[in-house]
Amino acid sequence: MANAEGSIGSSVHGLTGKEQTFAFSVSSSSNNNNNERATKFSLPVDSEHKAKTLKIFSFAQPHMRSFHLAWISFFTCLISTFAAAPLVPIIRDNLDLTRSDIGNAGVASVSGSIFSRLVMGVVCDLIGPRYGCAFVNLLTAPVVFSVAFVSTPQGYIAVRFMIGVSLATFVSCQYWTSTMFNGQIIGLVNGVAAGWGDMGGGVTQLLMPFLFHIIQLTGATPFTAWRIAFFIPGWLHIIVGVMVLVLGQDLPDGNLSALQKRGDVHKDKFSKVFWFAVTNYRTWVFFLVYGFSMGVQLCMNNVIAEYFYDKFNLKLHTAGVIAGAYGMVNFVARPFGGYASDLAARKFGMRGRLWILWIVQTLGGVFCVWLGRADTLPIAILAMILFSVGAQAACGATYGVIPFVSRRSLGLISGLTGAGGNFGGGLTQLIFFSSTTFSTSMGLTWMGFMAVACSVPIALIHFPQWGSMFLPGSKDEKYNEEQYYCSEWTDDEKEKGLHHGSIKFAENSRSERGRKHIISSAATPPYSTPVHV
Amino acid sequence: MATFSGIFVASAIVFSCFGVTAYGVLFSSLQQTLLLNSSPSQGQVLQGGEGQMSITWSLNKSYPTGTDSNYKTVEVKLCYAPVSQVDRGWRKSNNNLKKDKTCQINVVTMPYKPSNNNFTWTIDKEVPTATYFIRAYVYDSAGEVVAYGQTTDGHKKTNLFKITAITGRHVTIDVCAACFSVFSVISLVGFYLVEKKKTKISVRK
Repeated sequence: MANAEGSIGSSVHGLTGKEQTFAFSVSSSSNNNNNERATKFSLPVDSEHKAKTLKIFSFAQPHMRSFHLAWISFFTCLISTFAAAPLVPIIRDNLDLTRSDIGNAGVASVSGSIFSRLVMGVVCDLIGPRYGCAFVNLLTAPVVFSVAFVSTPQGYIAVRFMIGVSLATFVSCQYWTSTMFNGQIIGLVNGVAAGWGDMGGGVTQLLMPFLFHIIQLTGATPFTAWRIAFFIPGWLHIIVGVMVLVLGQDLPDGNLSALQKRGDVHKDKFSKVFWFAVTNYRTWVFFLVYGFSMGVQLCMNNVIAEYFYDKFNLKLHTAGVIAGAYGMVNFVARPFGGYASDLAARKFGMRGRLWILWIVQTLGGVFCVWLGRADTLPIAILAMILFSVGAQAACGATYGVIPFVSRRSLGLISGLTGAGGNFGGGLTQLIFFSSTTFSTSMGLTWMGFMAVACSVPIALIHFPQWGSMFLPGSKDEKYNEEQYYCSEWTDDEKEKGLHHGSIKFAENSRSERGRKHIISSAATPPYSTPVHV
Repeated sequence: MATFSGIFVASAIVFSCFGVTAYGVLFSSLQQTLLLNSSPSQGQVLQGGEGQMSITWSLNKSYPTGTDSNYKTVEVKLCYAPVSQVDRGWRKSNNNLKKDKTCQINVVTMPYKPSNNNFTWTIDKEVPTATYFIRAYVYDSAGEVVAYGQTTDGHKKTNLFKITAITGRHVTIDVCAACFSVFSVISLVGFYLVEKKKTKISVRK
């Protein structure tokens, strides 16, 4: 049993960074175990049993199957959150909505998840991403079905708010891939998973008008057909939720509840994780900045179909196709952002990552302004595509930096950044697209300017050991990776040896210094020194 | 050289088409030569899908003879009153008829006759809840608007009626929604309990 305990304990090593390590390093013994155990995984794994490669077309347990379940569940939630947007021209007639009602519903649809993303981070820690994800999906299905009962603007806004709560699956998706994949490819893996999930916002713009059209052909009147169309996303939630419960697995070695009962995974204190997340100023810079890459995207998902329908007099179906193209660009743009961030880091380290983030996010804002000013359809479509590439690559690049902001509070900081994205989306929708002060064209223009302005705070992100956009890292060796990550643990906790996961991570993160400053890894890893002699 | 001139000519034609379509007929330039009457009285409420109204129109005899020499077809439309256009930019009135969105619902299109025109309309199920008036546009043989008539005054304040739309809800849909919702919640609870039992058994082992 001790054997199994040791190897399973090391499999969650680095997941939360707080598990107890033993007096003697388990690395050498776990290596032996790995050689036997590695054969049972279909992908090459590291000492934590996290996969080192991504095999897209595989569905093998546990890594690739979890990857696909994670992104598909997030994808489904995006489909239902924005399912109303391409049908607004019909819904606004059925429910007698005003522009304010439509705008408020859009704000409601993205603000629901501001709080739920924070809660999901905690839930993933306590009962695992699998249950968190299935919970959200199976409880969102009834809300989606309840669209059948909506008959007033207030009911419409309430339903969109409650469906929007399901966007918490973003956190479970990223958390789940982080438990399954090694840190060196995590930028790309997170970018692909989140990008393909975000694609749901685009797919829904095509899917819903198509379903609406088909249902109308069977004889339903428009005011009934749109309600029936919502049944499809509802069923998708049920199917995905059941699949996650039946086929999914929390960790490479098993499910969280089983591992917790065996005593192999230790729970950190929520108060500590919370404290180190909120006192790190970078968390709040990202809260703001992500609002103008992801937030802007969420806002556009709500606004773009109606904009093209009204401004260029297109058919509902055509407006849906164009709006769909906006979201579909996520398929490549977000992974591209993550990949570009990884590439820049190889040569320039963290400074490269921050510059890439600032460049693509600012370009996204500039193209948004161009979209607002465009008066002909071809120019508008071109501007829209370029804007979407910029904004979505910025999202991917953001999550290339986030894993390095904190080791102890990674889940909560991811959740807070994600919540900031929704907050920014709701805010821009409220300011620019909910009243008659601005026409939608002017709203887009001003939103672009605001995105450019709010990307400037990226220059404030400074890591003592790596630097920032304009300042190099400290030459003083006192400020190194270990010092940064271990500052999240109190002396008491360090004495108990709870911080060794952070030290291991700090070692691995030296690559963020860039090519010029790679320190040779021949130095003795500190974690193998016995704590209790 | 030939291809360049070909491209130039083609683009000139394309742009001239844009030019023509960009500048539509102005509403203020039209003459109100039709007298239009509809059965709903001021403030009457009709039901979508069931309500009926009869519409009659004829040429206003006070205009000189020969005014209607080029009138070909009459298109009768249901138009939003100003109160239903407030805070709804997709129903905005615009003097340029190409951009005007006041009258979006077609009632009937008939060939032009100077008198004896009437039509009974059963309100479509797609008509939204709003306050309306009726307007008829007259087209010449080239498809251009040349005249109009409407049931309300120039400020669109008199003789407005209301239509209440169908809800679009059905008992069958409500029942199906409730059933699927219950199924979803039961699946979640069921799986959780089953797995809790399995974990207890495996840990005991």
